[in-house]
Amino acid sequence: MFQLIVTPSTALADEPVTIRVTGLPPSQIVTLKATLKDEKENLFQSRAFYKASEAGEVDLEWASALGGDYIGVHPMGLFWSLKPKTAFRRLIKKDVMNSPFYITLDLYDSVSLNDSATIQPKASQMVQRWFSGPGVQRKQIREGRVRGVLFLPPGDGPFPGIIDLFGRIGGVVEFRASLLASRGFVVLALAYFAYEDLPNKLLEVDLEYFEDAANFLLAHPKVQRPGIGVISVSKGAEIGLAMACYLKQVVATVCINGSSVVLDLPLRYKDLVVTPIRLGLERTQVHVSGAARFRYLTDDLWNKLNPQSMLPVEKAQGWILFIVGENDECLDSRGYAERAMQQLQSHGRSRGRMLAYPGAGHLIEPPYSPFCLASWNPGVERPFLWGGDPADHAAAQDHSWGEIQKFFRQHLIPTRSKL
Amino acid sequence: MAQLTATPLSALVDEPVHIQVTGLTPFQVVCLQASLKDEKGNLFESQAFYKANEVGEVDLERDASVGGDYVGVHPMGLLWSLKPEKLLTRLAKRDVMNTPFQVQVKVCEPYFPIKNVVPHAPKDSLTLERWYVAPGVTRIQVKEGRLRGALFLPPGEGRFPGLIDLFGSTGGLIEFRASLLASHGFAALALAYWGYDDLPPLLEKVDLEYFEEAVEFLLRHPKVLGPGVGVISVCKGAEVGLSMAVNLKNITATVLINGPNFAIGNLHVYRGQTSLPTPTNIEFTSSNALGFAEFYRTYEQTGDVDSRYCFPIEKAEGHFLFVVGEDDKALNSKAHALQATSQLTRNGKKNWTVLSYPGAGHLIEPPYSPLCCASRIPFVSPNIHWGGEVIPHAAAQEHSWKEIQSFLKKHLILDVTSQL
Repeated sequence: MFQLIVTPSTALADEPVTIRVTGLPPSQIVTLKATLKDEKENLFQSRAFYKASEAGEVDLEWASALGGDYIGVHPMGLFWSLKPKTAFRRLIKKDVMNSPFYITLDLYDSVSLNDSATIQPKASQMVQRWFSGPGVQRKQIREGRVRGVLFLPPGDGPFPGIIDLFGRIGGVVEFRASLLASRGFVVLALAYFAYEDLPNKLLEVDLEYFEDAANFLLAHPKVQRPGIGVISVSKGAEIGLAMACYLKQVVATVCINGSSVVLDLPLRYKDLVVTPIRLGLERTQVHVSGAARFRYLTDDLWNKLNPQSMLPVEKAQGWILFIVGENDECLDSRGYAERAMQQLQSHGRSRGRMLAYPGAGHLIEPPYSPFCLASWNPGVERPFLWGGDPADHAAAQDHSWGEIQKFFRQHLIPTRSKL
Repeated sequence: MAQLTATPLSALVDEPVHIQVTGLTPFQVVCLQASLKDEKGNLFESQAFYKANEVGEVDLERDASVGGDYVGVHPMGLLWSLKPEKLLTRLAKRDVMNTPFQVQVKVCEPYFPIKNVVPHAPKDSLTLERWYVAPGVTRIQVKEGRLRGALFLPPGEGRFPGLIDLFGSTGGLIEFRASLLASHGFAALALAYWGYDDLPPLLEKVDLEYFEEAVEFLLRHPKVLGPGVGVISVCKGAEVGLSMAVNLKNITATVLINGPNFAIGNLHVYRGQTSLPTPTNIEFTSSNALGFAEFYRTYEQTGDVDSRYCFPIEKAEGHFLFVVGEDDKALNSKAHALQATSQLTRNGKKNWTVLSYPGAGHLIEPPYSPLCCASRIPFVSPNIHWGGEVIPHAAAQEHSWKEIQSFLKKHLILDVTSQL
């Protein structure tokens, strides 16, 4: 009798799961399929085909997928290769506190290429993937101008504080902040447009707003002083880097696939106004899928760059970690990070580090997040191409998550930095 | 006043068009767009961004696109980069005789595709007619004996080199390539072999005697030059084409586009002899990042490596032209061509040429056909990834079409002087 054993059945979404099948006929070819329905009922699926061993077992820790959504040994492949049934939908958990994602794993004792109404799986298991751990608290924040959601770990603290910034998706994206809080950080998922009474459209970056948020966080009784961290991606990472440059409250900044120049929108901080580099929209390319590829919008940038539009990274007093997907099709992330690193070095500053991941795309997220090649962005008629190769991207997510947490602990927790 | 011109406005679908814009301001950036609605109402669109020169002109034969569906100097880019509004839709002309495809070309201000923002009216526009037949080509419905298809004849007196045109896994009768070849001087028989008229709805076996009837039908025809015929074939059609060349007489020249050199999925029978279909490992089917099925690995342990399954190509008397898309994701075309030609070489035969195109996919069609990188095939798969990158695929189509025609003419039209 076959057995499909999946453990743990309930876990945080960034924790791995072991999947084993036993009791199969020797060398039987089987299909393992994963299915998830998101909060809007969108279906995501993945599948892989395996050959059982002589002993009739398939253990994803060592078994090599022969085909399907990935090939080779990938214990968590069924999770990161989940694909939307309707193209260009992206998986994002909205309610991070009260419900998990439910993923159903099905075993078929044959090659099941497509869903069939008549063929039933031989075994099924369901797993729960949570975005917050026991005891994590969520608080809606409306302090002065600051709008967002604060996540607190259980206990008295103090805990290292982090501001979490996403990009031009707008609103508040909570899942990364809630996961970091589950790992012992106080995290403010900060909105800056298209949320509550904030402006609907982003027309400029007012760094004083972000300074207000940093001060709010530092003033919180559970937050470690004297400085906070920032984790930021895409447009958020350009803002995060600006915060690192200008705000002394920020001592550790993670910039994931962001620009190191002020792009498209002016940057304002007190009396300073930085003119942005224009995005040459006529350089938008269309990928074979119909998705828009923005990587080359600033193609001739370095030849005619106004130095004033470069973010003055040499002014940053804290530490900066650049996380780069080398196959980012949205932005030349590697180019921007390298320029920033060169700028640091030429000013004798040594507090920058770059982790570049070959084959990774723009949306580097916590481990096991499904690879998303392209997806819709609010208000735009074409999906955005993010780029990346699925297996390489998954490996980058896995590796970078550990590095990001180590980086924050190293630079935000005072006793550690003395080692 | 901006003016858009295209010469010629009406042409065969495999003929280039010279597109220009005048009357712009110096160095003005404009967007050129093309759109087409197929016979089922499916919309296909493309766009490219150009910067006018110092006198406000854009010439697609000279200027490079800076963005859009292609970059660089590509005079026909607007046509071959057309993309369907709905993924998995393939562009294929059904009625090749009576109507052209109409392509609207517009020049307009560049605009970012923001929802609910209505773009400005175009500065100028025109309509191109793209025909699949030249004037004077005739189409004859063929329903003789078991044969089902359509014969296309060039205009004029005399005899023309005869061809059988075979398509692949979609079944039915696909006419657009045969009608174009007739427009270039061939008597081309678009031959259906399943899913058409009273033919079997699904292909059960490849009965070579049916194809032999087709060869004899062509050779009997008063407008067909003998003594042999050619075959042009793609995908499953190329599997049949190769089997024909090996087993039948009077096949002088065979063009095999992205086909296997062994039987796939069906028995091949000829006068009591059978070739069994090659075992397949369906568990080697992969999925691309958008979830479209790729079948090219499924013979990597069988047909791709074991010569027991291969057609005895050394027995064929005619000449072969293999056309290979190296980025084919449906079939491991490059390996099959290599295997077949190695077998010929081992048998001391030099009757072959391979044209291998990096970046080209499975569906190598006449020039300027839009790249279809994935579509659905009823009864086979809800989605198949064909492969191919837009720009190299277009180059492959342009190059191979000329080579295919010269190959066929070279072998089918005997040089009379060489016999003196």
